[in-house]
Amino acid sequence: MLADQQPDTHESYDVEAVNSPKRRQPLYAARKKIFPKRASGTFRKFKWLVMLITLGIYYITPWLRWDRGPYASDQAVLIDLEHRRFFFFFIEIWPQEFYYVAGMLVMAGIGLFLVTSTVGRAWCGYACPQTVWVDLFLVVERAIEGDRNARIKLDAAPWSLDKIWKRVSKHAIWVLIGVATGGAWIFYFADAPALLQDVVTLQAPLVAYVTIALLTATTYVFGGLMREQVCIYMCPWPRIQGAMLDENSLTVTYNGWRGEPRTRHAKKAIAEGKPVGDCVDCNACVVVCPMGIDIRDGQQLACITCALCIDACDDVMTRLGKEKSLISYTTLNDYNRNMALATTPEGTIEPSRVRDAAGKFIDKIRHTTWRSIVRPRTVLYFIGWAAIGLAMLTVLSLRSPLDINVLHDRNPLYVLLKDGTVRNGYEVKILNMTPEPRTVTLHLDGLPGGTLSMADSKGTSEPDLTLELEPDKVLPLRLYVHADPAGLTARQTGFTMVIDSTDGIRAATRANFEAPEKK
Amino acid sequence: MSLLEKHGVIERNASLLLVLSLLVVTVGGIVEIAPLFYFQNTIEKVDGMRPYTPLELAGRNIYLREGCYVCHSQMIRPFRDEVERYGHYSLAAESMYDHPFQWGSKRTGPDLARVGGRYSDVWHVEHLTNPQALVPESIMPRYGFLSQAELDYRNIAADLKVNAILGVPYSEEAIANAAADLVAQATVDGDTSGLASRYANARAADFDGNPAKVTEMDAVVAYLQMLGTLVDFTTYDAKANYR
Amino acid sequence: MSTHEIDDLTGTQTTGHEWDGIKELNTPLPRWWLWTFYGCILFSIGYTIAYPAWPLISSATTGVLGFSTRANLDADLAAAKAAQGGLLEQVAATPIEEIPANADLARFATAGGKSLFKVYCSQCHGTGAAGSVGYPNLNDDEWIWGGSIDQIHTTITHGARSDADPDTRYNIMPNFGADQVLDSAQIDTVAKQVASLSGIEGGAASDEGATIFAENCAACHGEAGEGMADLGGPSLTDQVWLYQGSLEAIKAQINQARHGVMPAWGARLGDTAVKQLAVYVHSLGGGQ
Repeated sequence: MLADQQPDTHESYDVEAVNSPKRRQPLYAARKKIFPKRASGTFRKFKWLVMLITLGIYYITPWLRWDRGPYASDQAVLIDLEHRRFFFFFIEIWPQEFYYVAGMLVMAGIGLFLVTSTVGRAWCGYACPQTVWVDLFLVVERAIEGDRNARIKLDAAPWSLDKIWKRVSKHAIWVLIGVATGGAWIFYFADAPALLQDVVTLQAPLVAYVTIALLTATTYVFGGLMREQVCIYMCPWPRIQGAMLDENSLTVTYNGWRGEPRTRHAKKAIAEGKPVGDCVDCNACVVVCPMGIDIRDGQQLACITCALCIDACDDVMTRLGKEKSLISYTTLNDYNRNMALATTPEGTIEPSRVRDAAGKFIDKIRHTTWRSIVRPRTVLYFIGWAAIGLAMLTVLSLRSPLDINVLHDRNPLYVLLKDGTVRNGYEVKILNMTPEPRTVTLHLDGLPGGTLSMADSKGTSEPDLTLELEPDKVLPLRLYVHADPAGLTARQTGFTMVIDSTDGIRAATRANFEAPEKK
Repeated sequence: MSLLEKHGVIERNASLLLVLSLLVVTVGGIVEIAPLFYFQNTIEKVDGMRPYTPLELAGRNIYLREGCYVCHSQMIRPFRDEVERYGHYSLAAESMYDHPFQWGSKRTGPDLARVGGRYSDVWHVEHLTNPQALVPESIMPRYGFLSQAELDYRNIAADLKVNAILGVPYSEEAIANAAADLVAQATVDGDTSGLASRYANARAADFDGNPAKVTEMDAVVAYLQMLGTLVDFTTYDAKANYR
Repeated sequence: MSTHEIDDLTGTQTTGHEWDGIKELNTPLPRWWLWTFYGCILFSIGYTIAYPAWPLISSATTGVLGFSTRANLDADLAAAKAAQGGLLEQVAATPIEEIPANADLARFATAGGKSLFKVYCSQCHGTGAAGSVGYPNLNDDEWIWGGSIDQIHTTITHGARSDADPDTRYNIMPNFGADQVLDSAQIDTVAKQVASLSGIEGGAASDEGATIFAENCAACHGEAGEGMADLGGPSLTDQVWLYQGSLEAIKAQINQARHGVMPAWGARLGDTAVKQLAVYVHSLGGGQ
């Protein structure tokens, strides 16, 4: 019976294992060289401006001065690791106030949500150091080797004195930029003028040179050699930001609904009666792209939205006498609506469907405006971002430049003295977070009959103590608090230690007073 | 080449492989361990070392019985942190009458190599009875029952004899008087002249604070109070014993 | 087995070993691995030359570097001492009363004393020096043998009731009850008298109590029970009690006295360490 079911002939299938050796692709892809052409236009100008501002901030900030009097550094922005202080103009942050930094990080996170959900990967396209430095390196490259065509030619040319000279000088300048980058970094951590002198005279600490060397290496390798590969393979942001985009975020978009069908021979096509889109397939958008991609393939991971293709295309469109914005910042929603208008029921794109008889766009076409930015999501992000910022500003403006921390002795918890009173020991730290000396008085609040004495002053116990604080320092104290347990109701009594500065600033902290169990 | 080809014979014969492996390991062991037995400088020349008194030996047996060595080492290593905490680093000479030695490396509790004389007898009794009463953070178990348990020293002479066989210089006289010396050391105002003549610097006391009987507590405290106190470091030449 | 067979698939020579048709390849070791292995052998030979290693007839080679853990330790200790910048010598040279006046020296001595205390003293007096029943609290202002820095220094040096030191702090309170100096009614009366001095519950002053006290107790505890530090007679008028301040505890002590023993640390630790301990204990808050 079974034998009857067996087919007479063995059927063979035309199939191959998905991972058969013939199909396996190498895990390593060699880099394809990209020679971005110089673009010009609105966005290019904007990018020059952003580059100027960001590089300016980076290089100039450590050299700004801010007078803090004789007891503190006069550097406006200084991360003083040795003394564990962070100076930012009028603000001075101590290590225990690290929550300000945490707040800044939360704001940076929400800020990224906000920016990405409104204008897409603007961080990548304009402000990311990788983008800025690659742009800078490209400026050098163009100045020495010429624009795209000259560079392609040079790259293909056999080695000659001219080529060696150009390559050597290009890399030398890149390394110099790298040194300047690393060099600027270290000035944030020490007094800049003094450190510069030390660095030049080889007196600076080893860590300074190591830092410069490291940052020189990373700047040179990332900005000069790896470039777009950093964004595509190394950086997690593109992937995270991709998840934060939605259909109402502005992205650099090729408006296929007016561009397709693209053709280089429009006249011929029109003569043949075929539909013709605005795109003349000149590839201007591709040659300017620093990532080497074609935006007409749609939104993609490698696109950093630098908008240089918009500049390139607008230029071409203007010369052709067509409307700008064949490539533009557009939301996916608008694009889809317009695409639906332009598409025939058969699924082909007919540019005539979006234009009226006079050749103008029909009214139904949606043009993305800045209004797309204001949406519940972005408003919420902004409110959250601003709330944290305001809260931090409020806390910062209200914070006392004076603080007191108290730690009760663990062992012994209390000491019964001859006269029946009880003594408790405390480690007290008084923080003077201003660069000027202060005089404060310390007293107790809420402990009946409580008196204070310094641990090393034998015998004398006073209701309050007067203390001199050094500028910008912590005063550690060992204090005794005395009280008669007869006046206390419980084994543990909470009270407040208060310090009053002569200039009216007050700081206080809660502490406990321990006494023997009542019999 | 032909000899090297023969390894197949060993690989196919498990018993032969075992024997030859043992041989190889033995060579390593002999090279590392055997010299210590004939080297003259393994054990430092020191003054003051003497065999344990019978009471101390009995205490040491209880120390072993109760597994004190599981948490306490008796080996101060020659490092600054250890020397500053516990005292002079341990010498090989100090363990020469130990069979077996109590060096150890697992310190759940502190090293006891020089605990002798550091605290009072009463402290030891109280601490053994209720360690947490004196050291609140201690996790040591209570050994109060030692105070109740009367010391069984019927075999103490035999114990000394075994040690003598192992190389501890107990004299015939010491073995004969073992039980008497034990009782003499555990009582106050007893006749300790024999004890003193046989065991230099042996301290006689009522260690457990109970003069009525000789308890295991007496023995343990006597042992602990002797630990690390024998060597006279004023005559010890540290430089000659650098290693 | 000397047929050098070459495996078809891999092109590698086989060892000639075969199990159920499976042949073992004789894949050569990677070059880097092999050289690392040879390097390790060379290193080990050099190591045994540089460090103590080979057993000889009566001792072992000491190695050309002259390495010795015990010598290293002595060097470590010497370096640690040098790092203290002579402060230890200064402590040794400075009379104990003058140390607290020198801030740097006092800070050094206090720190040193604190760590010494943890090692040698905390077992009885507690890590916080708060003592317990029978072991005096060193934080308070009640001192049996006096709380000035030189009195503390003396107590630590010679101990209390220490067998090992003839100059030890020594006193013994008689067992008034156990040795039948006083009968139980008398003990009851004098205990109440003592308890009344510091307002302990159940205390009651009486003429008879005062008489018994004057005859038996005042010699050491003072006429008013105020204590005599020179004799080690504790004050009976204050709130600090070594063996608990209750009427029952006082009776028990009069009946059969308990005494603490403190080792004499002077011979054991040396005077410099004792000085540091004295400075530390004096700094605990009760020092006079």
